[in-house]
Amino acid sequence: MKDFLWLVRKTMKNTFGRRNSWLLYIGLPLAGVLLSMLFYSNMSSGSLKIGIVNQDGDQAITQDAIQFVGSLNQVKLTMTDEASLNDEITSGKLDSGIVLPKGFADSIREGKPLPVNIVSVKGAQVTAYVKSLLDNYIGNIASIGLGTKGDTQAFDQVYAAYKQPGFAFESETLKDTSNRKDMTYQSIGFLVSFMMFSAVGLTEIILKEKENRTFLRLLSSPISARAYVLSNVAVSFLVLLFQSFMTLVFMKYVFHIDSGIPFGEMYAVLALFSLAAISLALLIVSLAKNTNAAGALQNLIITPSCLLAGCFFPISIMPDTVKKISNFMPQHWLLDTIDKLQNGTAFGSLGINFFILLAFAAVFALIAIFRFSRNNDVRQFI
Amino acid sequence: MNALEIRGLTKKFGDFVAVDNMNLNVREGEIFGFLGANGAGKSTTINMISSLLRTTKGEIDLLGKNIAKNIKFAKMNIGIVPQDLAIYENMNAYENVSFFAGLYGLRGALLKERTEEALDFVGLGDKQKSFPKNFSGGMKRRLNIACAIAHRPKLIIMDEPTVGIDPQSRNYILQSVKKLNQMGSTIIYTSHYMEEVEEICTRIAIVDHGKIIAEGTKEQLKTIITDTKEIWVGVKAEGELPLDSLKQIQGVTSVRFEEGVIKIHSKTEVNNLNRIIQQLIRDQAEIRSVEEQAPNLETVFLTLTGRNLRD
Repeated sequence: MKDFLWLVRKTMKNTFGRRNSWLLYIGLPLAGVLLSMLFYSNMSSGSLKIGIVNQDGDQAITQDAIQFVGSLNQVKLTMTDEASLNDEITSGKLDSGIVLPKGFADSIREGKPLPVNIVSVKGAQVTAYVKSLLDNYIGNIASIGLGTKGDTQAFDQVYAAYKQPGFAFESETLKDTSNRKDMTYQSIGFLVSFMMFSAVGLTEIILKEKENRTFLRLLSSPISARAYVLSNVAVSFLVLLFQSFMTLVFMKYVFHIDSGIPFGEMYAVLALFSLAAISLALLIVSLAKNTNAAGALQNLIITPSCLLAGCFFPISIMPDTVKKISNFMPQHWLLDTIDKLQNGTAFGSLGINFFILLAFAAVFALIAIFRFSRNNDVRQFI
Repeated sequence: MNALEIRGLTKKFGDFVAVDNMNLNVREGEIFGFLGANGAGKSTTINMISSLLRTTKGEIDLLGKNIAKNIKFAKMNIGIVPQDLAIYENMNAYENVSFFAGLYGLRGALLKERTEEALDFVGLGDKQKSFPKNFSGGMKRRLNIACAIAHRPKLIIMDEPTVGIDPQSRNYILQSVKKLNQMGSTIIYTSHYMEEVEEICTRIAIVDHGKIIAEGTKEQLKTIITDTKEIWVGVKAEGELPLDSLKQIQGVTSVRFEEGVIKIHSKTEVNNLNRIIQQLIRDQAEIRSVEEQAPNLETVFLTLTGRNLRD
């Protein structure tokens, strides 16, 4: 045990004695979080700029409809004409335009509303919200027209009553947490890829020791190969735990990203994932003959698997085939666990996710141990 | 008592037999020369002695204890100075020695004392805080030795500890080896420099194709060679030398040219000196000296293995 601790201490001292290591193991994940924050803060929705072309004049129903659109949340209204509408939309001054056709009010009175043309170059993302509410509004008034069957007086009475509801209405704006969720997902995605690269970087020390001939000198001392590899695993685990801790602390207290998951639960999940990441790193090192080969394998395995598992882009936008492939990657199960925790699944109900992460760790480690035990190459020493 | 006893040691890699039923005794207090050309099996043997390789067959006893059954004891009592430097470039001299000594369980004041002692021993006492990247080749070699001796092993295995260093450092290392021996350590020494082995080793074994083909003191080994003589002809080294024509002379077994001297091995019973000189004159070589050498270890090695030690 003393020898084991002696090795751990030496590796920690060698690793963190260099300024570059701090940047690599702590700085880069934080930069990833920052990047994700910038990305999602740019995506936060501002006001929807809508231009109205009124071809129906001062009709009360038409003016009420315009007022209705203007009263919608997050909508900034501009009156324009048909000639300018397209230019303003294409130049980005407006997000969409609504053309209220001539005879719009009369058609509603008759219960047969004319279609309202909604123009946009940004598609349903921009038009759907306004269209559905406006259609609903127009449909309600058109129903009055249908019910009063062309009786103008009756229509005006019912319409006036409709505009004066007999109940008090209060509205509360709920906080949109989808952005926060996406930001957490992406930040953890970046952290996951850095954790995996860090694990390989630390485990690669074994190969460096072999290349520097110090590995077999160590083995000629009373230290066993098992104790040496275990000490390396312990160092990797400690570093990944520290890396996750610092990232979560910065996310929560510096960048104020509220993941919606208790700190302890998030940290426990990341700690579990660390084991899978370290086992994969051991497997990579056991397969590689030197650090160059390990570097190549690392690029071949980690980056594509992170991409496929949804570390860099949300898995929801991926095709079904990719979604199926991602099931074979530990990163996917970590992100899935976090997604479920954010959606309210209880920590204790995620046993299957934890089991799969542990299984990944066990399988990778077993293959690595088998590979290490088959390596009888001492030619590099004497 | 034997410091090391090897009985029937065999190591196979697939069908290739690297060490073939080797038997060897190294007595306590000896500086034992272990000679062999590349691929002869000496590194494999050393790896098995230091428990880095499992034996296919055979037994190795260190200080009377079987090393397979007493691995920790064996490792605690062996110090290895590998041929290739095995030191950390990012640790200073003190940290390097202290780290390796720590692997043998030394801690605290004792660790500090032994580390300083080892560094002083190899003449790096005043370079404790210096990093190996600032060291000369000789200083790195000395640090390599310090890392192997700080835990005071009973048996020190030195594999080519003087490769690629200046004569001054080489001399320092040779003196250190003798001193370590005087202090009680048994030493197994391998080298490609035959004169080093002749100078410091009390007994020598020559290994070839995984077998010990000769063993004894240098004097005993030299008596093995009675049918070969070595003739050295000093020449002015200009243009191409007629080495091939010399090889055609009756009795000549090998010819090589080193530092202005043509070194000719020839059978003792053939008197061919006149023919050698005549051939050199015919080939217009400018002869400066001629001398017949007494048998040396190099001749012994060449005769027994058919190869030069540096082949």
